[in-house]
Amino acid sequence: MIVAERKSLEEIRRTIAPYERVLIVGCGTCATVCGAGGEREVALLHAGLRAMEARSGEGWHTFLEFTVKRQCDAEFLDALVDRVREVDAVLSLGCGIGVQAIAERFPTLPVLPGVNTSFMGMAKEWGVWDERCAACGDCRLAETAGICPITRCAKGILNGPCAGTKNGKCEANNEMDCAWVLIYQRLEKLHRLEDMRRYYPPRNFRVIPRPRRIVSKAEVAVGGNNG
Amino acid sequence: MQSFAIHNLENHHLARPKRAAEDHSLIPPCQAACPLHMDIREYVSLTAQGRVMEALQVIRSGNPFPSICAHVCAHPCENACRRAQVDKPVAIRALKRFAVEFGGDRMVECEAETTHDERVAVVGSGPAGLACAYYLRKLGYLVTVFEAHSQLGGMLRVGIPKYRLPREVLDTEVERLARMGVEIRTNARVVSLDLLFDMGYKAVFLTVGAHQGLRMGIDGEESPGVIDGATFLREVNLGLKPSLGERVAVVGGGNVAIDAARTAIRLGAREVNILYRRSRAEMPADDVEVEQALEEGVQFKFLVLPKKIRRQDGYLKVNCVRMELGEPDARGRRQPVAVEGSDFEMEFDTLVVAIGQAPQMPGGFGVRVGKGSTIVVDPVTLTTNRVGVFAGGDAVTGPATVVQALAAGRQAAGRIDDYLQHRYPKDAAESRETLVGDLRPETIEMIRRIGRIEPPALPPEARTADFTPIEMVYDWEAAVNEARRCLRCGAGAEILFQDKCASCLTCLRVCPYHVPYVDATGAVRIPADQCQACGVCVAECPARAIVLRRPYDRRQVAGELEHVLRSAAQTKPRPLVVGFCCQYGLFGTGSLSDLWREAGGSIWLVPVLCTANVEAHHILRAFEMGAEGVFIASCGEQCARENTEFWVRQRVEKARRVLSEIGLEPERIEVLVPSDHNGSTAAEQLDAFAQRIGTLYLASILMQEVRS
Ligand SMILES: Cc1cc2nc3c(=O)[nH]c(=O)nc-3n(C[C@H](O)[C@H](O)[C@H](O)COP(=O)(O)OP(=O)(O)OC[C@H]3O[C@@H](n4cnc5c(N)ncnc54)[C@H](O)[C@@H]3O)c2cc1C
Ligand code: SF4
Ligand code: SF4
Ligand code: SF4
Repeated sequence: MIVAERKSLEEIRRTIAPYERVLIVGCGTCATVCGAGGEREVALLHAGLRAMEARSGEGWHTFLEFTVKRQCDAEFLDALVDRVREVDAVLSLGCGIGVQAIAERFPTLPVLPGVNTSFMGMAKEWGVWDERCAACGDCRLAETAGICPITRCAKGILNGPCAGTKNGKCEANNEMDCAWVLIYQRLEKLHRLEDMRRYYPPRNFRVIPRPRRIVSKAEVAVGGNNG
Repeated sequence: MQSFAIHNLENHHLARPKRAAEDHSLIPPCQAACPLHMDIREYVSLTAQGRVMEALQVIRSGNPFPSICAHVCAHPCENACRRAQVDKPVAIRALKRFAVEFGGDRMVECEAETTHDERVAVVGSGPAGLACAYYLRKLGYLVTVFEAHSQLGGMLRVGIPKYRLPREVLDTEVERLARMGVEIRTNARVVSLDLLFDMGYKAVFLTVGAHQGLRMGIDGEESPGVIDGATFLREVNLGLKPSLGERVAVVGGGNVAIDAARTAIRLGAREVNILYRRSRAEMPADDVEVEQALEEGVQFKFLVLPKKIRRQDGYLKVNCVRMELGEPDARGRRQPVAVEGSDFEMEFDTLVVAIGQAPQMPGGFGVRVGKGSTIVVDPVTLTTNRVGVFAGGDAVTGPATVVQALAAGRQAAGRIDDYLQHRYPKDAAESRETLVGDLRPETIEMIRRIGRIEPPALPPEARTADFTPIEMVYDWEAAVNEARRCLRCGAGAEILFQDKCASCLTCLRVCPYHVPYVDATGAVRIPADQCQACGVCVAECPARAIVLRRPYDRRQVAGELEHVLRSAAQTKPRPLVVGFCCQYGLFGTGSLSDLWREAGGSIWLVPVLCTANVEAHHILRAFEMGAEGVFIASCGEQCARENTEFWVRQRVEKARRVLSEIGLEPERIEVLVPSDHNGSTAAEQLDAFAQRIGTLYLASILMQEVRS
């Protein structure tokens, strides 16, 4: 899932400054799960902004809040149609995709990000999130025992560990497990230690042409080939 | 312009307000077991918060004579209480006693207006009759109670000994009934129902009880010195002093036998034996009472059965046989069988036979009687074979309990009303489900063990000289602590809108009791029969999909907060300090609220049911509305829940982060506990906190002046 983190109130205050009426929009999917922009965080931000306005003595904004099921699909954004009519801007607590989806759906509406979209990852435990995948587009997990060295090795090397590994920890941060030690240990359990001895050629580091698009539907020409 | 519009921060259910306002709690087992269906969970919870007047209100709404039940109820609720699966059941009866005494039940006035012309006769003034009279009067009927004895109360008067039910309690209820306009005829044994109808009564409720002592049917039972339990207790209760001699035996194993034995001790018998044909485990008598009887010197002879009585030289020679327990019968009770050749003889001055009672019906009633001489009625309408004649209580069930009799009386009043108004009896169908199912071992393991507190009682030496009531009332602290043991069965959390659940599993991870789980379809579930209603998941669910099942609990924190903020805005205290205060335990019952008064009104307390329910946005709301400081007073180690302080600190940290982002000092939020790591009391901590806020407030005013 996508993991995000709320922006500082100071930054949010600056971005919303020009707009009087602001609709804070939460996302009921990833942003909820990662605790950055679900209904609860929307309420907390709302309360924080209102407290800020009240304490500054010069507040003039009006805030509304609403959380949609998922921001990254236009159909879910229909629920916003009436609501955005009453506001000057939307502050989205969805990931960057959500922000853009709202912008696309409402062409004349200013949409501001309330969170920093951080990484793709998972919960380690309650309230702790770890990155797991870099969306590199060339997955090598089959060779690395299901542990991604691109994201979990500080250096992202393919033929680890490097000389900086020490007692299973990484020289870049001695609190952090060395991804290659983890890979070794797991390969051992899988009786595939010989995979360690292989050399993995460098990946294709050409810049990925962006934006990427995947087309999964078949190109079927209506009426074509049918007779 | 100030920000306006949506002020209600709890607006997340606005879209579907109806469901959000419904009571989704399940009926707890205690309530299901109570014949009166009392809302025990509610009044116990109110007691735990020290809201004893409200507790009494809840009690009175379900029980016509709560002070009587508070003394003698057989408390089937406690037998069903799920706390027993953890340690011991909640002492529900003793808590009711606390509520009636401290809530001032004696002072309550009941009023009734006459709105119907029909008159109803109640025959018998035991709890069933009195309850029926009470409810009929409330419904606006003219009621006359006919009682054969000189005083009202039935077994409450002539059965239950005074050391368990002080007669002032009964007299208070009787006077209340009289003031409500119930007509009372004592020394009026009814022998014919036709006569009552001739007198103009349109309906009759028969509650003649079961006063005829059963006999063992053995030789010599007629001898002088042999008396049945009900008669013996009646004589004592009506002021006669039967001469017992020195050695008394009581035959039987029920509560009447125990009462008779303990009464004999109080009348000066030197040696009192209870002869019971089964063993202690099978004794139907209440455990506490058996215990108390032992303390008072009553001796128990188990597995003994009298076979023959002979009167000789002024003594009763009782021939007994030893018993042993055979195979369990169809009902699972092991039947005693006589041990061959084990006969022996005992000698007593008096033998009290307390092996049960049966109703005694004048032939003139013309009602059909069935097994054990009990009146046969329709269980729903309580009608007998005679038109307009209803019956209930021991006369129908055989010897039972006060609370069953009260329930029968209440039911009868409703049915008689239906009958007189020519209505089809309507079933007051309960829409809520009843909680069934035991706690899982995993849940039990996580629940804090808190020993049951018994109400204080007179020491055994001080009891036996006379009939002084032996049980005393809890003090505040004991009552509050006992009430906090309630697990609030069925009032826990639910995922109100499953479609909002993001399946984040936060609830699984935060629940101190490991209650939520993922079912086979991948949906997250919170089983109602396991949830301990701590509210942690409710406050942590990032989707706000979880709510507490009772509407009041859902609104509690936000509601009280808004109320306090409104009041504070009117008085404009400077600097305003808002404190979220645990309503249970220490804070609910005193110290902090005293302190708050001394602090001169600038500290405003928001009572919360458990501080784990306070969320970060509640704290921020107080700052928005002008608070200079906010504290959360948590009950610390006293808490009946797990981990409460951890969660309080989580919320506080969250709010502190926001506070520093908006340029306010995070020290403006504080957690108070009954005794902190320096050993200072909550009051001292609050003092220090209030001073800190005062200083910060002054500094901020100075800053403002410098700026302008
Ligand atoms: C010694 C003893 C101790 C008990 N302790 C407890 C206890 O601790 N807790 C508990 O829950 N239960 C207890 N019980 C049981 C409880 O008292 C009874 O279940 C309850 O009183 C039954 O109420 P009732 O209204 O049906 O009948 P009763 O209370 O028996 O009242 C019937 C009344 O009808 C009157 N009457 C009878 N015939 C006529 C007539 N023809 N005309 C006019 N009046 C008539 C009788 O005089 C009597 O006053 C005890 C019973 C006894 C005997
Ligand atoms: S724990 Fe409380 S709610 Fe549950 S059965 Fe006992 S008294 Fe009733
Ligand atoms: S915490 Fe809320 S959103 Fe998360 S799984 Fe539980 S109910 Fe669903
Ligand atoms: S209310 Fe408490 S006990 Fe019940 S499921 Fe939520 S966290 Fe668990």
